[in-house]
Amino acid sequence: MAHLSIRGARKAYGATIALSRGDFDLKEGEVHVLIGSNGSGKSTLCKIVAGSVRPDAGEVLINGKPVSIDGPRAARGLGIATFYQELSLAAHRTVAENIGLPELPAKGGIFVDRDRLKAVAERYISRFADVAGKGFSADTRVEHLREDQRQLVEIMKTLATEAPILIFDEPTSSLDRSQVERFFDVLRELKAQGRGIVFISHRMDEIFAIGDRVTVIRDGETVATSLISQTDPSAIIRQMVGEQGELAAADGAPPAAAAESSETVLAVTGLGGRGFANVSFEVGRGEIVGFGGLHGQGQSAVLRSIFGVSPASQGTIRLKGEERTIRSPREAIRNGLAYVSGDRGRDGVVHGRPILENVTPIHFLRNKLSVVRPGSLRERAAKPLSALKTRFAGYDQPVNALSGGNQQKIVIARWLIDRPDVLLLDDPTKGIDLQAKADLFALIRSLAAEGMGIVLYSSEDAELLANADRILVFNGGSVSRELKGADRTRYNLYHAAYEAA
Amino acid sequence: MSASETTAASRSGIAGLVERFPFLPALVILIVLLALNGWFQPNSLGFRAITGLISTYLALMMLAVAQTYVVYSGDVDLSVGAILSLVNCAIVVLMERWGGGGGAVLAACAVGILTGLACGLLNGVVVAVLRLQAIVATFATSILFTGMALYVLPVAGTPAPTVYWRTYGGRFFEIPFVFYVVAALAIVLAIAVRARLTTQMLAVGDDAFKAFQSGLPVTAIRLKGYVLCGLFSALAALCITGDTASGDPLVGGAMTLYSVAAVVLGGTALSGGRGSVGGSVLGALIIGLISSFVFYVGTPSQWQNLVQGLAILLALMLGILVTRRVRA
Repeated sequence: MAHLSIRGARKAYGATIALSRGDFDLKEGEVHVLIGSNGSGKSTLCKIVAGSVRPDAGEVLINGKPVSIDGPRAARGLGIATFYQELSLAAHRTVAENIGLPELPAKGGIFVDRDRLKAVAERYISRFADVAGKGFSADTRVEHLREDQRQLVEIMKTLATEAPILIFDEPTSSLDRSQVERFFDVLRELKAQGRGIVFISHRMDEIFAIGDRVTVIRDGETVATSLISQTDPSAIIRQMVGEQGELAAADGAPPAAAAESSETVLAVTGLGGRGFANVSFEVGRGEIVGFGGLHGQGQSAVLRSIFGVSPASQGTIRLKGEERTIRSPREAIRNGLAYVSGDRGRDGVVHGRPILENVTPIHFLRNKLSVVRPGSLRERAAKPLSALKTRFAGYDQPVNALSGGNQQKIVIARWLIDRPDVLLLDDPTKGIDLQAKADLFALIRSLAAEGMGIVLYSSEDAELLANADRILVFNGGSVSRELKGADRTRYNLYHAAYEAA
Repeated sequence: MSASETTAASRSGIAGLVERFPFLPALVILIVLLALNGWFQPNSLGFRAITGLISTYLALMMLAVAQTYVVYSGDVDLSVGAILSLVNCAIVVLMERWGGGGGAVLAACAVGILTGLACGLLNGVVVAVLRLQAIVATFATSILFTGMALYVLPVAGTPAPTVYWRTYGGRFFEIPFVFYVVAALAIVLAIAVRARLTTQMLAVGDDAFKAFQSGLPVTAIRLKGYVLCGLFSALAALCITGDTASGDPLVGGAMTLYSVAAVVLGGTALSGGRGSVGGSVLGALIIGLISSFVFYVGTPSQWQNLVQGLAILLALMLGILVTRRVRA
């Protein structure tokens, strides 16, 4: 087994320093949590170990010997396997093929040994068989799997390498509780075998459930490494944020109080479609309505159907009292709806394009612009970006150069140049650091205070409890319970989410 | 729990079949075309007519297979026709120069295949290693290869040795030679489906960066795809030489885009990651049957191109509609 350490790793992209002094140490048989806000450099540190980024300075040592990792293949040769946050699966290949892809078992030199491939796949599938859900088998193509099932495939693919050093970059963001617990059982076994595991997550409860040591990284520098048993969440967050004051607002803020008898901006009656049925609710001006419940109970599907991505087959949608049929996102935008997805890669960011172009498409559409002066566009873009405390070098910088949290801020900012009436948030903080989350919810609350109607689906219960005026708990594609006022407790939320699930 | 699960579970019936065998729509179109041909000209389903169809379109089948191997990983090769022309000219000239005997024919064929491999290797280096745009780079190499073909054989017309085309058009044990070739091709393709390289190429076609992150040698895989493409282009040249019995430096020019059309007709996605070589062979046959159909219904010559174009368009639409409905 192997002992990995990184000393003084440094990486700059042009003038931006992604990592100024990265130190990290991974012993055999430990789960080492790496935590830091987005843009802090933890992704860069991981990529250096995974071989996809070459450091400008510093050294990587395995068992005390300096090594150079020239690419993912070289990393694998050194016994390092990586779970990629954005997954590294081939959509049209089967689960078994994906699990075995890095080292396809060979027969006669050139053929795939189907039996062995299947046997290897089954070995890992069997570990998760009872939590993977329906439709999950070695022969299923990845394109037909749900997001959480794909994440399980990526986990199995990483495990199947049998590498002594495993890096998991946010492996649990789409998993439900039983899947996470099973995954942790597997991790504990690997730990007992002497493997070294790097674990990245934004969920504090998971960090404390599985971690042995935690390293906090901030502004490109390793701040501290401590034993999990000798620290606590607030200490870690203090190290991450650097200054303590800003955090209190994120955790303990009282929910925005909505005026009871305000005008209804969005009313949905009997909405039904793929993945949900008979959903009815109203959103008042200035109200934040939360969607809660276990993952994948129809919350996203409802939001996407309101926005016209896959229109509902039944039910009516009223906007400010008038019934509307929305057949496409284009119509939804024209009608004053806005939608922000947690899956920014798929639904939000225009890849490889400058920030300015990423902030302004909605402005173009709503005002039917065809020719503009970049100067005036910049002025319009500046306000929402600064309101969100977006950190970026210039408007011409490609959006991919930003961290996940800052990318999401860009996506949200595009809706704020021309204010929509209703903002639909579909798990908007997925994979975003605590600081960015705090910025985001502060903004959401101030938007509500200015009269916007907001629907918030979040997979993190704490976000809902802290921000939503009312919480609709989804279960099996419909609303099973509505929590208001003092009922909005963690206990009630869990109870409604789990009953009959 | 939710609808997304039922989609995963309900992959049965026609949808599941088309997913497992992406060439099924092509097979249906092929059968319809055969029936139409038989309706208008019963003789067209006879043994002799089918033999003729296969000897004429065997080259396009090979070329479609060649194209498929680069399309698998999301690339394209616009030089397959030029490789075919170059190999055609090279072997015809060599056979003539070496006396036209049996040994000369075999030696020339071997040189032809090596030429195809070399052309494929060059394409692979340019596209996969130097990372030039596949469309533009292979367009450029196609001009290069055509230039070489014109250097080898400036004017069309040098005949292939009698022994060569007699073999190609002949029969062994009462079965036409081309049928043996088709059978051999079928066996080779059936075996190739199980190769690691096929799975790796398809994974690269799905998403090259993710394949790279998975630790696949992406550059080498794309390179091998182009080399395979060169090999099958050379085999296509051997077939066309047998069919036309002569050398022509421009014979393959028009065939390049037919090969792309055959690949798409066969249900392979041009974006990569999905498809089958068998489908491409069917696609080539569809193109052949459309031509003969246009002929059999007695289309006046000035209308033949127009009708043929419309028919290919129709076949493409049918195939894509079926596939899209199934995947929806």
